[in-house]
Amino acid sequence: MAGLYGQLDNEDYLVGGHAACAGCGAALGLKLALKALNGKCIVVNASGCMTLLGVYPLNPLKVPWIHSAIENAGATATGVCRALKKQGRENSVHVLVYAGDGATYDIGLQSLSSAIERGEDFVYVCYNNEAFGNTGMQKSAATPRGAITSTSPKGKVEEKKNIEKIISAHGCYTATASVSHPFDFVRKVQKAAEINGPAFINLLTPCTTGWKYEAKDTIEVGRKAVDSGYWELYEIVKGEKTVTVKPQKETKLADYLKMQKRFTGENEE
Amino acid sequence: MEELLTGNGAVAWGCRLARVGFVPCFPITPQTEMIETIAKWVEAKEFDADYCQMESEHSTLSAAVSACATGVRAFTATSSQGLLLMHEMLHVASGMRLPIVMANVSRGISAPITLWSDHNDFYSAKSAGWVMLACENSQEALDFVPIAFKLAEHERVLTPALVNLDGFILSYTREKTDIPEQNVVDGFLPAFKPAYSLADAEKPVNLGSPVMNEYQEFKAQQGLAMKNARIVLKNLFKEWSEKTGRSYDLLECFECEDAERVVVGIGSNMATAKTAVEQLRAQGEKVGVCRLRAYRPFPFDDLKQALSEKKGVAVFDQNFSPGAGGALFHEVRSCLYDCEEKPLVDGVIGGLGGKNVTVKNFESIFEQLKKHVASKEESVYWI
Repeated sequence: MAGLYGQLDNEDYLVGGHAACAGCGAALGLKLALKALNGKCIVVNASGCMTLLGVYPLNPLKVPWIHSAIENAGATATGVCRALKKQGRENSVHVLVYAGDGATYDIGLQSLSSAIERGEDFVYVCYNNEAFGNTGMQKSAATPRGAITSTSPKGKVEEKKNIEKIISAHGCYTATASVSHPFDFVRKVQKAAEINGPAFINLLTPCTTGWKYEAKDTIEVGRKAVDSGYWELYEIVKGEKTVTVKPQKETKLADYLKMQKRFTGENEE
Repeated sequence: MEELLTGNGAVAWGCRLARVGFVPCFPITPQTEMIETIAKWVEAKEFDADYCQMESEHSTLSAAVSACATGVRAFTATSSQGLLLMHEMLHVASGMRLPIVMANVSRGISAPITLWSDHNDFYSAKSAGWVMLACENSQEALDFVPIAFKLAEHERVLTPALVNLDGFILSYTREKTDIPEQNVVDGFLPAFKPAYSLADAEKPVNLGSPVMNEYQEFKAQQGLAMKNARIVLKNLFKEWSEKTGRSYDLLECFECEDAERVVVGIGSNMATAKTAVEQLRAQGEKVGVCRLRAYRPFPFDDLKQALSEKKGVAVFDQNFSPGAGGALFHEVRSCLYDCEEKPLVDGVIGGLGGKNVTVKNFESIFEQLKKHVASKEESVYWI
């Protein structure tokens, strides 16, 4: 990790004292994304766990931040991008969207799709804990089949939505990442920021409270997700898919699943 | 410069003269002509704004919110279903104290679906924390846009503003309209200086963060801002009058001075009511019309002053809340509650979904009111 911090901005733009759970993968992802951009960004957030990082009048963020609703991150990013351009400031700051999987796969997909279609210049990071976490883990379109949530108490019946296929079909840079692989994630954020137009990164952010594993194991769960092949790390540039981190074949899918209590339902296969 | 402008065209001119920087939009009848006009000007480089067609009205207002929060003057327009789809964001815009101006071209709400004029869309926004102005004619539609911006951006107000015009009746009717010179509007409305901006890296702001115990205090501040808005708007009307010669106030009182019976309402139908007043006056009837140009802030004091000594008031509502009645009726009646001698108040609902409201209708409303004053029995009825 020393190497990573050697390359990265030493400053934290999400500082201690925030309200996320101990071991929160999403908060770690945000911290890394802000470092990757050297804090030179305006963050657009959709309602979710990260909305609650700071409760008025406390603010753990050192970057400008706007949260307005859950379904409109793409549209909100559009307004920020257009206003920056109107003031000739579009090259001085990046627009980073940090929205959860429910806000991305489900309620905000229309807004995201249209913002990409218009070619707005933003980096969209979907922090993916595979459920509506902030309301107490209800299934989302990102919840994998078999996972127990409070609205799929026996395990989810449906397959998750292939969001990478949907987003990359728009023709924009699309990547997956995991907080357990910070080098890979940071490189992708920086690459996405260099692109003059929209870019999408689907970031796996293991959730200690929702997936039911010990807070200390967030990184380990993420590693097992990648190593077992459950969460493939890749990027799609102009339709070409490149795997960026090779899974460690000795890790089995069962090793990943058994670390979490959410895969113990009747519908688990 | 005088031109024949539709209500939609007049609002577009108001937006252009206000030097708006960002216009996110979405088409909907009967508003579309407004954004088409703006799009044409932007393409022709006659209007230096960024015009952006969004994927929904919800997204339209969302983009206006974030653009305004990033330091750019933002305008949008909608109608009916569109205003309803935006509803969540109406509260966000006012809660964040963002001085956005939006035109609403009033149209009835589905189901059953209708395209025609009706104020249910407008009144649905009454608790959303926006300044709400209602136009009667094209001239007001144009003038109210720069006035609304200056009001919304005032440091003691910082509240978004809705400018309402009636679908079809006003949106598509051409009227002689004075288009003020750009330097006149520039002299009235200075460049937008936001109270805060997301683009200000030195002072990073956190917008839309949660609160635990202070929510009520934030809402109380919005209430104070509205209180201020009443005074500020009166002053801005005066200032506008000095610059253009057109005088406005929160109320338009037509033949009210010595009137015994008065019709109260908003929008273009009040022009029809005025014609009825002229005809009845010719027959010696002491009648008048009191039209609200501002619905939020609600002009309590102004209305009390205008109506407290009247014998009868008939409130005309082109909106309907099933189980409760017309929105304006309740507020006007409540406003007159502490008058020493309360005027009798009739509630009249009509014109829903564009149902034609005629001079004869208003003559009949005055006639009914006369009877009810004599019998001392208030009545709520439909025409």
